[in-house]
Amino acid sequence: MSEELTFWEKLARIDRRVFYWILFIGLMVPFIRPLGLAITVSPSTRDLYEELRRVQPGDVCLINIAFGVSAWPECMPATAACTKLLIRQGAKLIIIGPYYDVDLSYEELKRRCAEDFAKLKYGEDYVYLGFYAGGEAVVAQLASDFRSVFPTDAYGTPLDELPMMKNINKATDIRLVLSSDTGDWCSYYIRQWRIPYGVPLAEIGIAMLGSEYMPHYRAGILFGMSVGVRGGAELEKLIGEPADATIRMDAINISHILVIIAVLLGNIGYFASRGKRR
Amino acid sequence: MPYPTDPAGIAGLWVAWLLMLMIYSYPLYKENLAFRFAEHTYIGITLGVSLIVAMTNVIRIAIVPMLQGKYHYIIPIILGFMMYSLLVPRYRWVSRYPIAILVGTGFGLGMRGVLIPNITQQVISTITPPAAGAGAVDWWNYIYIAIGTICAVMYFVLTWEHRGGLGSATRLGRWIIMIGLGAYFGNTVLFRMAMLSGRAQFFLQVLKIVPM
Repeated sequence: MSEELTFWEKLARIDRRVFYWILFIGLMVPFIRPLGLAITVSPSTRDLYEELRRVQPGDVCLINIAFGVSAWPECMPATAACTKLLIRQGAKLIIIGPYYDVDLSYEELKRRCAEDFAKLKYGEDYVYLGFYAGGEAVVAQLASDFRSVFPTDAYGTPLDELPMMKNINKATDIRLVLSSDTGDWCSYYIRQWRIPYGVPLAEIGIAMLGSEYMPHYRAGILFGMSVGVRGGAELEKLIGEPADATIRMDAINISHILVIIAVLLGNIGYFASRGKRR
Repeated sequence: MPYPTDPAGIAGLWVAWLLMLMIYSYPLYKENLAFRFAEHTYIGITLGVSLIVAMTNVIRIAIVPMLQGKYHYIIPIILGFMMYSLLVPRYRWVSRYPIAILVGTGFGLGMRGVLIPNITQQVISTITPPAAGAGAVDWWNYIYIAIGTICAVMYFVLTWEHRGGLGSATRLGRWIIMIGLGAYFGNTVLFRMAMLSGRAQFFLQVLKIVPM
């Protein structure tokens, strides 16, 4: 014969699927009706923004798109905001990526910065070199010889035929690197670009990487850092163009409130029914 | 991406929408046939795309230059083929050579830049006090990080038994590590929520409830 559960025990045993449904539906609300919660800018994002503002016309910057399509909500807003800022500073861009779906991410980046890219000429103001494989070894090789990793751009044009790439072949030709990633790629650039060649480096990472790279930012190895979708929202605020991340932050806030409520309910149920179990 | 107007684009969007729901049917309902179908479709497509991109990349950076006269590019190609000996138990030993080269190269390159960013700079950063004019928060961070780092490192000192003064320090170190791991986990949850919010947005976009 089954024992009847008390209210507290029921609370501790709510089916997790109930929470998943509430979460999924709750996340949709801000997209339909944005809450417009305030966004404050963290020092690491501000430092990133300030350094990008110091880029001079003609400086060549490397954007490493090291995230897949699934991480677009996290990484793309900040990457797009930084790309817009660099284009407006007159920088020349080299875009590369170590993920198989980098072509999709590149197209999405161009779509989000369509007005800015429309003013640029491919090959003179920006180049897309596409996918590269090989992890840290290739990042090291890139630092010493671009052409051995990318004999051509993503469309098959030899690098020497691209006017922008005429005098660009090694790390010291690059003004700064933005590594937007979901894994270890920033570490590779720290070890193979930042430390040996002193190339300024910033991280635009998923939220998980915030804890990992904060010591590097505090130690001055990274000149700035954007953490997750929040970093994206901060950058959108700094460039004065609220977009995807700003709306998404409302959804993130709601999700966190729901998580906190779930944690509280679970713990209240656990502690309240603990005495009975004893 | 604006809402597609061509039939292929619209069909693609709805297929993606349906596959997404099939995948989410697992956490929202339970394991079922639709979930398994979507899961296998996803794995198959990912593998296919990966294979094509990898092959294209090998042709672009190795085979084409080799055919253009850079004959030394044959070496990495041969090393790559040697990896396939893993599939034949009798000749599996052949694959150890390219693996040894990969591991050795990776380790050597990794070590090259480890010392300065991960040890030297971190020690300097930890012991350097805030600059003049720093606020109370900066000083709190400085003290917290300095004490936290020392105590967390002491937790891994296993030469002596953790008793007395060392025991107190290592206990504090354990708490610091737990706080750090908690923050790491919190950021992990934040990341997952951001990804989920992307899907929630896509769900609404396909239904034209919110613009694309």
